[in-house]
Amino acid sequence: MKIFARSISIIALTLGAFSVQAEVAVITNHAAAAAPTQAEVANIFLGKDKSLTGIDQEGWNPVKEHFYTTVTSKNESQLKSYWSGLIFTGKGQPPASLAGDAAVVAQVASDPNTIGYVDSAAVTDAVKVLFTLP
Amino acid sequence: MFRLNAIGLAVACLAASPAFALSQGEYRFNGFGTLGITHLGGEEEGRSYGIHGQTNDSWRGDELSKLGGQFQYGLSDRLNLTTQVTVKAEQDTWKANLEWAYLSFQATDRLTLRAGRLRIPVYMYSETLDVGFTYPWLRLPDEIYHQVQISNYEGVDFIYSMPVSYGSVSVQAFGGQAEDREQFAYDQMFDMDYKKVVGANIKLDTHGYGSFRLAYSEASLNMTMPHLAPLGMADVANDVKGKFTSIGHQYDQGSWLAASEATRLVVEGPTPTKDAFYLMGGHRFGDFLGHVTYAQLDEENSGRQVSWTYGLNYSLTSNVVLKGEYKRVDTSDGGQGVFVQSGGEYISDLLAGTSRTFDGDIISVGLDFVF
Repeated sequence: MKIFARSISIIALTLGAFSVQAEVAVITNHAAAAAPTQAEVANIFLGKDKSLTGIDQEGWNPVKEHFYTTVTSKNESQLKSYWSGLIFTGKGQPPASLAGDAAVVAQVASDPNTIGYVDSAAVTDAVKVLFTLP
Repeated sequence: MFRLNAIGLAVACLAASPAFALSQGEYRFNGFGTLGITHLGGEEEGRSYGIHGQTNDSWRGDELSKLGGQFQYGLSDRLNLTTQVTVKAEQDTWKANLEWAYLSFQATDRLTLRAGRLRIPVYMYSETLDVGFTYPWLRLPDEIYHQVQISNYEGVDFIYSMPVSYGSVSVQAFGGQAEDREQFAYDQMFDMDYKKVVGANIKLDTHGYGSFRLAYSEASLNMTMPHLAPLGMADVANDVKGKFTSIGHQYDQGSWLAASEATRLVVEGPTPTKDAFYLMGGHRFGDFLGHVTYAQLDEENSGRQVSWTYGLNYSLTSNVVLKGEYKRVDTSDGGQGVFVQSGGEYISDLLAGTSRTFDGDIISVGLDFVF
C-alpha cells in the first residue's frame, strides 16, 4: 500500500514537474484534537471522514492541483467526476472553499475543527503544519 | 494499521457538527446532461435495440440525450430537502420526470435517514444512471442495464458510512414501493407495479484497490397486458417475486481505470434467469481516455448476447467530456439479447419453432456535462 502510494506520488510529481511546483503545507489549528495522517486527510477532503472540516481552495490553482494529485491521486476532472457521483446521489457535498492561501490560513487559525492546505510560503505562526508535500 | 484505526475512531468520536449536510437556509443547484446520437447498423431495416428500443438504423438522439437539475435546500442544519428533475425521451416523446424528492436527516456524522421518492440502488451505477459524466461510457453496458427498468421508488432508506484505516465502508438499506411504472417489452409499454421493494448494499472504498460493492434487491411484480385479455392471459404477473443481485468493482487511480459488475436477475415462474457481466479497462493519456469493455448476457435456455465496446473520450473542460463509442453486438443460440422483438415476431417464431439471432454495430457520439 505504502509503496503504491509512494509510486503514485512519484508519478504525480513527475507529471507536476512540467508546471510550476509549489510546496504545499497541510495545516490545522494549534488546538486541533488530532493529527490526521495523509490517508486520513484524503478521506476528509473526499467527504468520507467528517472528523474535521476541510477548507478547500476556490477555483483551480497549482496548490490545489498539487494537493489533490498527491493526496487523493485525482486530477481536476477526476475530482469533478467523483463529486458529481456524490452530489447527484445526495450522499455528499464538496468541502466549502475560500479564495486564496491567506483566507484559508485565517479560517483554520480561527476554528479548531478545520483543516486546510496552502502554499508553504503562506504559513504563519497562527496555524500548525501537519505535513508538507514537497 | 491498528493504531491508525484507533486514531481514526478517536477522531470520529470527537466530531461535533454534521459538516456535510447543508446548513439551514443554504441551497445548491446542480445540473447534468448528455447530448448524444446513436445508430445501429448491420441489422435489417427497422430493427431496434436498447433499454427502451430507441436505437435503430437512423441517427437518433432520444436514447442517450437527457437533461437534469437538482435542487437541495437546508430546512435546518440536519434536515435537507432534495429534488431532482430529469427530461428524457421515452418512445419518441420528451417527458419531464420527478426522479427524486426526499427529505434527508443527518442523524449523526455517520448515519443519514431519507424518506420520499428515491433512486433505487440496484446496479453499481444506479444512483448516477443519468449522470453520464460519472462513468466512461455513453451507453452503460446494456447487457446489465436493461434488466431493471425502474429508476426510483417511494419509501425510506438509511445510509451508514464510516472511515476505516484502509478507506471507508458504507451500508445502505431501503424499503418502499413503485406503482404505475412503465415497462418496455415486445416493443410496447406496459404498466408495472413493484410492491414490497426492499434491498440492501454494502460498499467498501479502499485507498489502493478501488471500491467493491455488493447489492441485493427484491420486489413483488404485478403487470398486465390488456391486449391479451381475450385469451385470458392479461395478468402477466401477479405478485411474482423478482430478485436482483449485483456485485461490482471500480478502480481509478489516475492513469489506469477499471470497472466490472456481475448480476443475476431471478423472476419466479417461467421467466428465464438472466446472468450478465462486463469487464472494462481504460487508460488516460492526458485529456484522452481510451476504454475497452467486454459484456455478456446469458438467459437460461434462451441464448446469449456478447459485445465488445471500444470508446475514446476527450475532456474538453473539467466539466464537459466528448465521447465516442463503437459497440459490436452478437447473439447466439436463439437469444434476442437487448434487440427488440415484437410480440408478433415472438408468437410466429414460437409457432414455427424457429428462432433467429441478431448482430449489429452500434456507433454513439455525444457530450456529457455537469454544472
